[in-house]
Amino acid sequence: MFKELDPILHSQLRLAVVSLLIGVKEAEFTFIRDKTNATAGNLSVQVQKLKDAGYIEVTKQFKDNYPQTTCKITSKGIEAFEAYVQALQQYLQVGKE
Amino acid sequence: MSNTEYQNDREKSFSPEESLQLIQTMIQKTKDSVAVDSFYLLFWGWLVFVCCIVEYVLMVYFKYPYHSFVWWTMPIGGIISGVYSSRQAKKQKSFTYIEEALSYLWIAIGLAFFVMVFVNIVSEAWKTAFTYYILMYAIGTFVSGSLIRFKPLVIGGILNFIIAAVSIKFNFAGQLLLGALAILISYIIPGHLLRIRYNTKKN
Repeated sequence: MFKELDPILHSQLRLAVVSLLIGVKEAEFTFIRDKTNATAGNLSVQVQKLKDAGYIEVTKQFKDNYPQTTCKITSKGIEAFEAYVQALQQYLQVGKE
Repeated sequence: MSNTEYQNDREKSFSPEESLQLIQTMIQKTKDSVAVDSFYLLFWGWLVFVCCIVEYVLMVYFKYPYHSFVWWTMPIGGIISGVYSSRQAKKQKSFTYIEEALSYLWIAIGLAFFVMVFVNIVSEAWKTAFTYYILMYAIGTFVSGSLIRFKPLVIGGILNFIIAAVSIKFNFAGQLLLGALAILISYIIPGHLLRIRYNTKKN
């Protein structure tokens, strides 16, 4: 039986965001935007979805009078990412056979 | 939600291979973003090196009794270093686990130096102070070098463990020279090599 791929992660931009956040402790919104080459509008929609799913934490604060948004992965997000990678591996193994 | 955003969200049909590829690319991108700054190594390296040499010259050649005044540059160095790091923190857009580990390591070493200065003031420990200072340089550079995978720092750290062991047999004047040698090997040379590597990477 195939494990279903988590629909929240199985979307290019959301997966890109989560993969980035796996490697860092926290990252600013602009850093994620630059690394993913996404538009700010699209990215903020996807970030909101990840936040709603409880996969990431979003902190908004002011730094030198500019609003700054920082994202951080949660333990639920890490678990979901690991489960997603495991499911991917299943798919790929079946593909080889 | 606008139309384009909706479409972007719909792109769910990408294959497991593409998925894996994307994960790899993203993880690679965060690896490149580990900011390795040679400023601290060069700043502290040269400052301590010059202090060691100046104190040695004042003490041995000029017989100047207040030779230890050179170390008053350390709190000033601390302030400069602190201002620099707070400015850098404002520019930094991501914070990796390695950077976090490095900052805690150096905070711990900084605290250890405060304790050692206190111990030196209230006891006779200053006579062999450099044995412990060099041990601190050894720990700091060995761990940092290993975390950022930069061999010259690791080698400098290992050599400093040896210099620390040897230094206990020297008097204070000899310890000053060994201190200068230790900082040259573990901070200054790796610091310049790191700067070269960083500059070539950027271009």
